[in-house]
Formats: sequence, structure tokens, C-alpha cells
Amino acid sequence: MVAQKRYHMRRPSFSIVMLAYGLWVLFPFLYLLVLSLSADWRFPDIVPNYIGFKNWATVLGGETGLAKSFFLSLFISVLVALSSTLCGFFLSRIVNYNKKKDLWTIISYFPYVLAPVVFGACLSYYFLRLGILGTTFGVILAQFFIAFPYAMIFFSPFWTEKTKDYENLVATLGGSLVQKFTKVLFPLSKNLLLICFFQTFLISWFEYGLSSIIGVGKVQTLTIQVFLFIKESNFYYGAMSCCLLMLPPVVFIYLNKRYVFNKIL
Amino acid sequence: MSFLEIKKVGKSFGSQEIVKQLDIDLEAGKTLSILGKSGCGKTTMLKMIAGLESPDEGSIKLGGTIMNTVPPAKRGIVYLYQEDLLFPHLSVYENIAFGLRIQRKDKSYIDKEVRRMIAELQLEGHADKMPEAISGGQRQRVSFGRAIITNPSLLLLDEPFGSLDAGTRKDMQGLFTDLSATYKITSLFVTHDMKEAILMGDEIGLMREGRLKIYKSQQAFLADPDTGVANEIDFWGGLTSKKSE
Repeated sequence: MVAQKRYHMRRPSFSIVMLAYGLWVLFPFLYLLVLSLSADWRFPDIVPNYIGFKNWATVLGGETGLAKSFFLSLFISVLVALSSTLCGFFLSRIVNYNKKKDLWTIISYFPYVLAPVVFGACLSYYFLRLGILGTTFGVILAQFFIAFPYAMIFFSPFWTEKTKDYENLVATLGGSLVQKFTKVLFPLSKNLLLICFFQTFLISWFEYGLSSIIGVGKVQTLTIQVFLFIKESNFYYGAMSCCLLMLPPVVFIYLNKRYVFNKIL
Repeated sequence: MSFLEIKKVGKSFGSQEIVKQLDIDLEAGKTLSILGKSGCGKTTMLKMIAGLESPDEGSIKLGGTIMNTVPPAKRGIVYLYQEDLLFPHLSVYENIAFGLRIQRKDKSYIDKEVRRMIAELQLEGHADKMPEAISGGQRQRVSFGRAIITNPSLLLLDEPFGSLDAGTRKDMQGLFTDLSATYKITSLFVTHDMKEAILMGDEIGLMREGRLKIYKSQQAFLADPDTGVANEIDFWGGLTSKKSE
């Protein structure tokens, strides 16, 4: 009875704490959204002189090139995530079943020894010689070099002795290599594949330094556009591009929670 | 006439000789139980027969065909592990049907065979359950059913009851004996339990440091002082006589 009373006594303060926490977490996002809908908001005005969809209409109208950058970034990130997840999955199998597994794993960490900008500077010489500097393909390839080792490392714990036993079992039951993958390995690793796809997508989606060096201003990804608006002190377009930048991660967090995390837990 | 003929098979990893001069002659429908301690080369021997490891020397013949270069999927030899290795994403029914599905058998044939096997394994009412929802003994039954339904030429069992409790183990030994008789299964049954080796095998092998010695009858196995059976009998006999005193 006493404990129940205490619980009831705690509830209002607990709600206030939770509300404050919620506001603290959500405030930057809400503020960005308001800023993206605003115009002519000058000191000392408390509220903006204009709130509406003018900025968004401009974007959708294609004047700023933001829509184009959004779809270009989406294209690059999907391709990088897809290729690095699949290559990482297949190659980590080869590496983890190899006797020199430890050496290959250390090599996988190598791209992360250098900062992306330095790594980009190293790559730019070879990309220039290959004629892919300043091209979308060049940016995809450069981002792949960062995302692919991540996928390799990510899948390492999956290739255990037990996984190998599953593979051997399928083989002795008469299964081919393709059937090993389609009937057993892909279904077993379905959630890992999805998480790796999301993670590598985000690595590519938020990548700035490497893309700006390899893209040399010709490949305008969304992160490059965000920085351009910030440099120009165009807060409204900057906020709007940040909202666009947040959109895929929010969708992925939702999908992760809905289809992956719940099944793991 | 031997169905499984293994002559002078050897395998080394680096400088360590794991299997030495392996010779096996086994008739169709018979079970050779192989007794041996951990690390004596039993698993390597089974993997070579299944095609999962390649022998350094010697020949493996099954039904008169040399198997050395035949890939595991084409040998018709199923390897069963100590762990049941049920596919966690498939139901009991689908686990049993797995081998027939990858062989692309007719749907109605698969359904008929799987239902028959489920009845044989006394798993009625569990067909739609997922592996995590059934007991250890039931999981091992499903594992057996999944292997036997493909009608393998040879079944290799690597300590299949090692992780089961004594009661379930006894049930499974009985079930395996019945299934072997029904489906005329030729098998190699590896165990480190002497009693199990005697119970399960038509012939008994003793493996020590990579060398396999085969006894064609239980009497020959019991009579050999190297097997340690005599010591066991003395021990239990001694206990009984002490109690009666």
C-alpha cells in the first residue's frame, strides 16, 4: 500500500522528466523543421515573419538543385550499400574460412587508419590516372572502399564453425553451392544483411570529405550541398537540406525497429 | 561383398599424422560402431568419407565406385553431427523435407514421405513447430528424419547422442536400431561410450592415435584386453560381489 502510494507520488515528476528528455531529444529536429519552413526571421523577432512551404516549393521546383542532389545521393548510397553488403558477405566467408584469417582481418581495418580526407587525397591520384576523378562512378568507388571493409568486419562473427557445419550438412544432403546460399545462409543471415545494408547506406549517405575530394565539385551529393548552404549562411535552405538528409535514416530506423530489432529481441 | 571399402587411407595436417592406414570393409545394411577418445582422428576419418576433407593417400569405394574425387553432394553420404543442426528458420516439417526439396522431388511425393517419416519418428503434432519449441530428443529425431528421408547410401554419425541425457539417449539408441532395420541403413556410428558402441554396432572398431582396429563380432571385441571391456566387467563384477558379501 505504502509502495503504491509512493509510486503515485512519483508519477508527476517522472512525467516531467520524461517530457523534458523527449523535448531535449526532439528539439534539434523540430527546430530544423521550423527553420526549413521559415523565411525573414531576424533578431529580435521571436517568431519568423513567414512560415510556409515556400522553401520546399523552391526545392521541388528544382531551382537550388537540392532535389537532384537528394536523388543522386540516394542512388550513390543504395549502390554503395548494396555492393558493399553483398561483396562483404561473400568475401568475409572466404576470409573467415581461410587459414590466414587474422592477417586478412587486420588488412580490412586498414582504410580506417587514415582519415577519409587523407584517404581521398591518396585515392585522387589513381582516380585521376584512371579518368574517374570528378565522376559519379569515382565517388561510388571511393565510398565503396570505405563501406566494403566495414561490411567484411561486420560479417566476420557470422562465419563460425557452426555455420560451416550447416554448409557441410547441406552439401552431404545433396545441395549445391547456390542452394547453400539461397536455402540456408541467406535466411540465417537475413537480419544481419539488412542491418549491414542500413549501416553501409548511412556511411555513404553522411560521407562528405571523401566525396568532396573525389567529386571535385562536379558530383554534388546532399552533404556537399548542406555544407555549401552553411558556408553561404543560408540557414533556411541549410535546414531544409538537413531535413532531407535526415529522411532516409529516420525511415531506416523505423524499418529496423519494425522488422529487424523486434525479431532479434 | 563389401559395400564400403576403404583401403590404406591416410591424412596429415602439417607434420601431424591424424589418420593412419585406414582400412574398412563393411557390408550393406550393417552398422560399424567406432569407439575412440577425443582427438583420436574419428571426425577427420568421417569427414574424409563424406568428402568434406580429402585424403592424402588411399581409396574410398562405395558400392564399387571410387569416391575420392566425387564431391560431397554427389556421394549419397549424409554426415550427422553431435549437434542436431536443425535449420532455425524452418519448421519441423520443412526441416525433414529439406533434403527432398533440394533434390527437387515432386511436391506430393515430398508430402507423403515427410508425413510418413513424422509418424515413424513419433513426432505427430509437432510438424508445424519451430525447432526452438521442441525438446533435445525431438530435435535429434528430426535430424535423423531429415537424413534418412533422402535414402542415403551411407550414414555417418559423429557422436549423435553425445549431448542427450541418459534416458533420451536410450530412447534414441532404440529408435536408431529400429530405423536402421526398417530402412536397411549402412552406417558408421562414432561414439566414445563403450556400452553404446557395443549396443549399436554389428561390428565394432577401436580407434587409437589415428589407427582403427575392427572387430568383426562382439565376442572378438570383448575378448581383446586392449578394448578395456574386461576391466569394466571386473569393476562392475567386483561391485556386485562386494554388495552381496
